[in-house]
Amino acid sequence: MVFPSFEFAFFFPVVLALSWALMPHPRVWKPFILASSYLFYAAASPRYALLLAGVTLANQAGAVLVDRSEDEKRRRLIMAATIAVDLGVLGLFKYYGFFAGEIGSFLDSLGLGMPLPLLTLALPIGLSFITFQAISYVVDVKRGVLRPASTLDFGLYLSFFPHVVAGPIVRAREFIPQLASPRNPRDVAVGAGVVLIALGLIKKVALADYLAREIVDPVFGVPEAYAAPDVALAAYAYAAQIYCDFSGYTDIAIGVALLLGFVFPQNFNNPYRALSFRDFWRRWHMTLSRFLRDFLYIPLGGNRHGKLETYRNLMITMVLGGLWHGAAWGFILWGTLHGVALVVEHALRDRGIPRPPAWLAWLIVFNVVVFGWILFRAESLELAATFIGQLFVPGPATLWSVVTVGAVLVVIGFQLLPPDPRDRLSVRLAGLPAPALGLALAIVVAIVGATVPSQGVPPFIYFQF
Amino acid sequence: MTEPYYPTSPEPPVPPTPKGRRLTARHAIIVVFIAALLLVLFEGSSIRSAGEEMDPGLERDLVLAIGEPAGWLADRLPFDEWTDDALAVLEDEEAGGAGGFDAAGPAAGGRGVPPVPPTSFAPEQLGEQAAPAGQLNQLLVTGDSLAMPLDVELARRLADTDPDVEVERDPHVGTGISKTGLLDWGRLSTEQAAGDPDAVVVFIGANEGFELPRPGGGEVECCGAEWAAEFAYRVRRMMNTYRRGGRARVYWLTLPAPRDPDRQEIARAVNAAIEVGAQPYRSQVRVLDMEEIFTPGGDYRDAMEVDGRRQIVREPDGIHLNSRGAGLAADAVLEAVRQDFPD
Repeated sequence: MVFPSFEFAFFFPVVLALSWALMPHPRVWKPFILASSYLFYAAASPRYALLLAGVTLANQAGAVLVDRSEDEKRRRLIMAATIAVDLGVLGLFKYYGFFAGEIGSFLDSLGLGMPLPLLTLALPIGLSFITFQAISYVVDVKRGVLRPASTLDFGLYLSFFPHVVAGPIVRAREFIPQLASPRNPRDVAVGAGVVLIALGLIKKVALADYLAREIVDPVFGVPEAYAAPDVALAAYAYAAQIYCDFSGYTDIAIGVALLLGFVFPQNFNNPYRALSFRDFWRRWHMTLSRFLRDFLYIPLGGNRHGKLETYRNLMITMVLGGLWHGAAWGFILWGTLHGVALVVEHALRDRGIPRPPAWLAWLIVFNVVVFGWILFRAESLELAATFIGQLFVPGPATLWSVVTVGAVLVVIGFQLLPPDPRDRLSVRLAGLPAPALGLALAIVVAIVGATVPSQGVPPFIYFQF
Repeated sequence: MTEPYYPTSPEPPVPPTPKGRRLTARHAIIVVFIAALLLVLFEGSSIRSAGEEMDPGLERDLVLAIGEPAGWLADRLPFDEWTDDALAVLEDEEAGGAGGFDAAGPAAGGRGVPPVPPTSFAPEQLGEQAAPAGQLNQLLVTGDSLAMPLDVELARRLADTDPDVEVERDPHVGTGISKTGLLDWGRLSTEQAAGDPDAVVVFIGANEGFELPRPGGGEVECCGAEWAAEFAYRVRRMMNTYRRGGRARVYWLTLPAPRDPDRQEIARAVNAAIEVGAQPYRSQVRVLDMEEIFTPGGDYRDAMEVDGRRQIVREPDGIHLNSRGAGLAADAVLEAVRQDFPD
């Protein structure tokens, strides 16, 4: 089930009303919201709900065993085994095909001809997010910053429907305490939730899907058919599309959670405003950035062992961060590009080279980020190379129109505006009375729905991760 | 020593709630129900149409449980029309137009023995040389999600070999010939043919199996001969539209067997209907057998021998071709296109 669908439009009001009705009775409320979340998840495929249950039980068992054990070596072993199970599941579904193909090609090139069994395994939706959240739980229990939750609470944490399919990656210690007592029914951020849901729908359906349909998909599909003006527009349009698509999903998820009385961490903060790569990663997919920081970069040694090791750790973190997005060379190169950019940025700072003026820093960072998106979006390295090559081929601008260029400028330009007036506007909108909020939401849904073409609403980009 | 790049995070607190006025849970429910009620009143018929288009199952039943009364109500109130008028400027133009399947009704009964036109025979069936079809300037690739990434593979290949050929890619995900609520392929094919493509590649059939109107009233369920006959009638109408009286060539791909046995039953009926639908226009409509390439004997397989190595050619859903499979399909299409358009 996806947010912009009739199924969800019927599912959510019922679940919302029953959730608040049952909230004072946690023994009833928790199983109810767990069952609702599994129903939401199983709508994609009931079999995957079994996998989710399996991952939940395995990690809960791991966390409880870690907590019970007093021997540090044993605790570490149990934690490692649990993480291995998580990564094994993720690896099987997400990376098996890629590595089987690559190894098969390599063996074939040596004349060994020993291809591994070729299977097509559908990636269970949201598996990467689920796995990361499960790992964060077990590791936090091992580190002693979190006590194991009840199986019901942990199951609810992993499966909670607003975040189960595409994040944000909520840490157990952020969410599980919110289950400790019923949410206060007299303190609900209704206005903020509705504004976020409306904003998310506009970003996803009206902007991201429009840009994909009119510019991005045609040009990235066959770049050789377009010349520099269109190819350049497509690169910037994809930067706008992926931001609207993913942050739109996150906005809806956070808004839905707020209406249910729960608070999720922020996931985006005007990323195209960044003046450095370090700044970019503090603004883009913030919950993934902090996961990689806390569970990969810092355990690798962070910046504690000198410059060279810091650079190495940055590279490893960013390359694996790229690989997390999928088993493809484009993602690996994209992560590598960001790793190199961070290392260069650090090296310049370490050598005391002064930072460029803000406008120049923005220009460099933004355009390198856009260049990275070409590697991220292109279906193969060959196509990425063709796309980049076409940037130097003069020709007509066939896709430029007031609407297409305007949409790209609006999405990127909006992030460059000072945040205060925008925040004030959001707060004012959120302060509308309840009937006005309901009317406003209906108008937004109707308008956004009217822009949906016969193809329907395509899936969110991050569902594939 | 540099300052810590990423500070070791202290235990993060529960995230702060956004700024702004707080209301009660009752208000949250009121807001969502007001929005839902307004949508039911103003978009009732869209909800019903969406439900009718969904694959059979619990979700469809749930959507129809609300969509049917909502549609009934919308039919009797003016709100739906107001919304349509107000938002018409934003809507997809393809929703309108003439030539839809529903307008024409099902394949009418009482047809006598139809004459057999000469176009029923492909020249090679008669041992003749196919007449060149003229110059290929514009090629349309259309269909449902099956047409993706075939459209891209065809466009790439032609961009390399025939850069002057304009490839128009127009797939419509989630649509089907046997369902007309959201998109009527009868209408759409008329609109597409108005663009005067010299060749049309059609790959559609991932969302079929819906009940079709029966001649004389009622509906016929998939996948017997009666359903296949009605489906073939629709296919034939589309082929006739696309061939534009012989000025265009049509390349219609059959369905490779899907993994799911229930879908296999539908695919068999669809493929049989495509063959029958094409019969009067064999000289201008080529049916390209994807089952023979990907699933010989109707046996599903994920991988097959390509360039001397086993390679995966299907998507994990067991329905669609992946880009490698679509590349093979594109090769088959282009081979047929080059026979018709040798220049």
